[in-house]
Amino acid sequence: MTTRTQTPVEREELISGSEAIARACALADIDVVTAYPIRPYDTVMQFVSKLIADGELKCEFIIAESEHSQFEIVKHASAVGARTFVGSSGVGWFYAMEAIAVTAGLRLPVVAMVGNRALDDPGAFGCEHNDALAVRDLGWLLTWVSSGQEALDTALIAWRVAEDPRVFLPCAISADGAFLTHAQQMVRVPDKGLVERFLPPYRRGEFQLHPDNPITIAPQVNEDWLMEMRKQSDAAMRRARGVIVEACDAFERVFGRKLTPFVEEYMTEDADTILVGMGTLAMPIKVAVRRLRAQGQKVGFLRLKWFRPFPVEDVQRVLSRAKAVGVIDRDYSFGSPFHSGVLSHEVRSALYDAAARPPMVSFVAGLGGREVTQPLATEMFTIAGQVARSGRSDNETYWIGVRGKQS
Amino acid sequence: MTTYAVEVVYRGVFQKTLSRNICRGIVLAAHKEGKVGTAFGRYGDSPERNGVPAKYFAVVADDRIELEESLAKYEPKEVDVTICADDTLCRGLESWGWYGLQAINALTKENGTLIVTSKQTPESLLEDIHRTDTPYNLAILSGPASFSGLWVYKDDHTDVRILGALAKVLPGLVGLESYCQAIEEQWKSGAKVVSARRSYEQLHVRPVEPGEGSSAPRFSFEKPGWEEMKEALVVQGVAKGAGFRGGDGGFQAGRSEVFKKFSTRTMRPVINFEICTKCTLCWLQCPDTCFDVTPDGLYDVNTEACCGCGVCEDVCPVPDCITMVGEEHFKDNFSQYDWYQRDKEGYRQWLKGITAAQSAQKRSHGLHHWGQYQEELAAAGRGDNDDN
Amino acid sequence: MTTQQLRPIRGVHNAPLEEFYTSGHRTCQGCESALVLRLMVKAAGPRTIVLGSTGCMYVANTTYYSTPWVVPWMHTQLGSSGSAATGTAAGLKALMQKGKMRDEPINVISFCGDGGGVDMGLSAISASLTHPEYNHLVLLYDNESYANTDIQASGSSPWGANTTFSPPGRERRIMNTRWKKNTAIMLAHGHPKSRYFATGCPSYSLDLMNKVRKALTIGGPTFIHTFDPCPKGWDYDPKYSHELGMMAVEAGLWVQWEMEDGKLTYNGPSRMIATGRRKRRPVVEYLKRQGRFAHFTEEDIAYFQAQVDEMWEKWGTPGISSVKLDLTGDRA
Repeated sequence: MTTRTQTPVEREELISGSEAIARACALADIDVVTAYPIRPYDTVMQFVSKLIADGELKCEFIIAESEHSQFEIVKHASAVGARTFVGSSGVGWFYAMEAIAVTAGLRLPVVAMVGNRALDDPGAFGCEHNDALAVRDLGWLLTWVSSGQEALDTALIAWRVAEDPRVFLPCAISADGAFLTHAQQMVRVPDKGLVERFLPPYRRGEFQLHPDNPITIAPQVNEDWLMEMRKQSDAAMRRARGVIVEACDAFERVFGRKLTPFVEEYMTEDADTILVGMGTLAMPIKVAVRRLRAQGQKVGFLRLKWFRPFPVEDVQRVLSRAKAVGVIDRDYSFGSPFHSGVLSHEVRSALYDAAARPPMVSFVAGLGGREVTQPLATEMFTIAGQVARSGRSDNETYWIGVRGKQS
Repeated sequence: MTTYAVEVVYRGVFQKTLSRNICRGIVLAAHKEGKVGTAFGRYGDSPERNGVPAKYFAVVADDRIELEESLAKYEPKEVDVTICADDTLCRGLESWGWYGLQAINALTKENGTLIVTSKQTPESLLEDIHRTDTPYNLAILSGPASFSGLWVYKDDHTDVRILGALAKVLPGLVGLESYCQAIEEQWKSGAKVVSARRSYEQLHVRPVEPGEGSSAPRFSFEKPGWEEMKEALVVQGVAKGAGFRGGDGGFQAGRSEVFKKFSTRTMRPVINFEICTKCTLCWLQCPDTCFDVTPDGLYDVNTEACCGCGVCEDVCPVPDCITMVGEEHFKDNFSQYDWYQRDKEGYRQWLKGITAAQSAQKRSHGLHHWGQYQEELAAAGRGDNDDN
Repeated sequence: MTTQQLRPIRGVHNAPLEEFYTSGHRTCQGCESALVLRLMVKAAGPRTIVLGSTGCMYVANTTYYSTPWVVPWMHTQLGSSGSAATGTAAGLKALMQKGKMRDEPINVISFCGDGGGVDMGLSAISASLTHPEYNHLVLLYDNESYANTDIQASGSSPWGANTTFSPPGRERRIMNTRWKKNTAIMLAHGHPKSRYFATGCPSYSLDLMNKVRKALTIGGPTFIHTFDPCPKGWDYDPKYSHELGMMAVEAGLWVQWEMEDGKLTYNGPSRMIATGRRKRRPVVEYLKRQGRFAHFTEEDIAYFQAQVDEMWEKWGTPGISSVKLDLTGDRA
């Protein structure tokens, strides 16, 4: 018997969320990546280019002349069977919107990072979620991460799910600008060998554009065909749910770390009042939860990791037992019902036929990258607590942290 | 309470203005009688392509509420009158892939009317028109098909002549006097009013019994559900070509099985194989890849693929080697080369006759030079916008 | 990455019989752009991937379940012919170099119309020409309008032409006063590492096929701009499609040239004109054959002729580029 030295399968490193995703690109051995500068997402491309320069990643790194081209290039690379990565922020993401829309229609498993950023004008670098949310109806898988570790893990899961032939849909990983893209934390970076066991190669199969497979992709259709094609995308998105669960199970088997697939529950089990949110605002909210718990208040927090597919079952299961639910949007939807944000609408919709429908209240917070501090989190719990006591939904939307009148 | 629907089946681009004029004329005339209507082109035909069959509709109802039943639709389910603006469409029309060749009277109601502008006899047209299970009427508006282009309209009064004919076959829709009023208002042309009245008087209508007409099968199709359709917007490419008739020599291109272009054609190239110098130009310059290359280096027109553009005739360096001949002289998509191989003498005789017959007719597929239409109208004794 | 070594076709009798763009499209009768595509892939051969921008050659070519393509083909967006070429070539290169796909030279051709190349997609085409490591050809088929959407004026529509965005009216006879030409030389000027630029016209089919072969064989990104008479938008009998292409070249309105490694040569009749062996035909012969110019007055015809005369008589590179060298002037 020989004794083998056990090499560490994961190594801890101090890296930013952007760098964590860049490391995932190298681990996934991506084939084509396209870059175009816009803050804050482009930090990921700065790291990817360095990884390539240092020989850590072999792939085609293309500096596009616009976001539109950036997304078009990876779309076409994906069609011939290349694993791809791309990304953008704010108005850059919007500049690429045509390409983004057709990538989903074409069922191409492009993985993108959105460094969430406010939509200009006025020019603003801070975080808002309206950029990524704009694709919520198009057939993109859409996830929000809240730490560097989760960014890396989710990127690996993203390729696995997107490239699964049962799914074949693109996936956008949203990372809050500055708070995640630029902040460095300790992240466990797995060995490439381990990742190969988790992430199978991308095989486009009968849809691959190649002289050996002479197909025509995306011929013009009339009203007799498009509805069926949309239904196919719908079926793929429905199947994605199970594929995500499978991926999380496989993740635990390979990396030995347990991931809950769709939501993170924080002290929700016996909570009367639960706040719901996405992304990095989870951190101050969790602090507030602990402090309020110390004062004897039964409060909790539910963080959605996946927005598409939307985890209806988890949302119903966790929230229908609460006495009040407050939804925090780092986005806006001007003129929408109750003038609340997008997440609030989705949660209300998910709860409409829940066994027990809890009273709700909506918050808009942290726009333009404004910090959602622990006192603001406490303020939201206080308002939600009043709803719990009244037992009736408050159809007002409160702007938390805004100067001047809140509603 | 009544709703009337009329369709104009026409040649894309060449008859775009014509069909629009007809359908707008119907709605404007109906307005004179206090009725409401709508005129619209079939959306899927837009953008139109030269010669590719297209449709325009007019729907008229007694009141607004009743009309709404017919709005927000691409195509009425059935029509009272089908107007066929070019008699070569009588054999059927294939406007897009998948749906095959659809009969000219596919939407015509029982006891409805098919109006055809034609110089042929009803009996001759009925050889082309698919037979129906129910009776209808065939009306012939005597004259050639009127073709022009996008920018320059050939105002030979075909539009108002059709309106006059419509007053005759469907008086319940709009009466002749209302058409005349609308024409006067639209075109400020007394001559056009006269043309409408004349066609009203001269229209020839012939009842068609069930079972009369061509026995060519009607094409039917099923549309697959989303589970059967290939995902990721993929369809299979066209199969590679092979030797002529599957043999070793020559070449026959693979061709789409779900879209044939022949119903776009009003004329087809007829070839004198005996004077062909095998220069390749007809084959090489054909935008529709319709020439099959025979093992002996001749070029046979694949008449399912040919849309009759006439470029081959224009590029052929040998006089009278390729002649464009009107479709009314043909009944099917036979191979000229196969016939020539089988019966050279018979082919020679046929070729002689058919090219002679054709030389008496003039090709009219749009503009050849500025002022051409005025010259043609003057020669025919009809001035443009003559308002006496 | 190596390229396929496609030999020049010596004479029309040696043109390959095989077809890779065939019947199944529903383009207009006499559509010269369809002919361009047919000749393009005939020259390129079976180991080719084609990407097609939105435009007539998308919408008219494919109606669902129907396709004219024998080789693999994929739609790309109106402004992304350059990006489609880059993305496809980059994907193939990465997969082949990493051993994920059999290593072989595959032709990548991306095409766009004048809307997609002269207007919207120009920036992406320019970007694609900055990547010498990717082999591809961008082919711009120019029918001088947005012919698919209903004949609206594009940057390439000629002065005065009737389009649905520039109709002659009671107050203004001439609505389109723009004159943007010579996209190929514009691109050639700024991309010195791209080795091949050319213009073509399907009326000169052998010349066009050989230009496609040269572009695909030479390696790196290349660009060809073709001039395609459009019976629908120009309003003429489709039968004359071939003839009108020749008339435009013979009138000096369209110039046939190619530039290989920076060396510019005129081809065919354009060469005869440039070398003075042939006189340009008056443009009026060409204008009078088309309904889109039917509203022209004598004055308009004269202006149009003057513009063409200027191209040949005043420009530094006659008919092609207005750039003139002047070393004698005062220092700025």
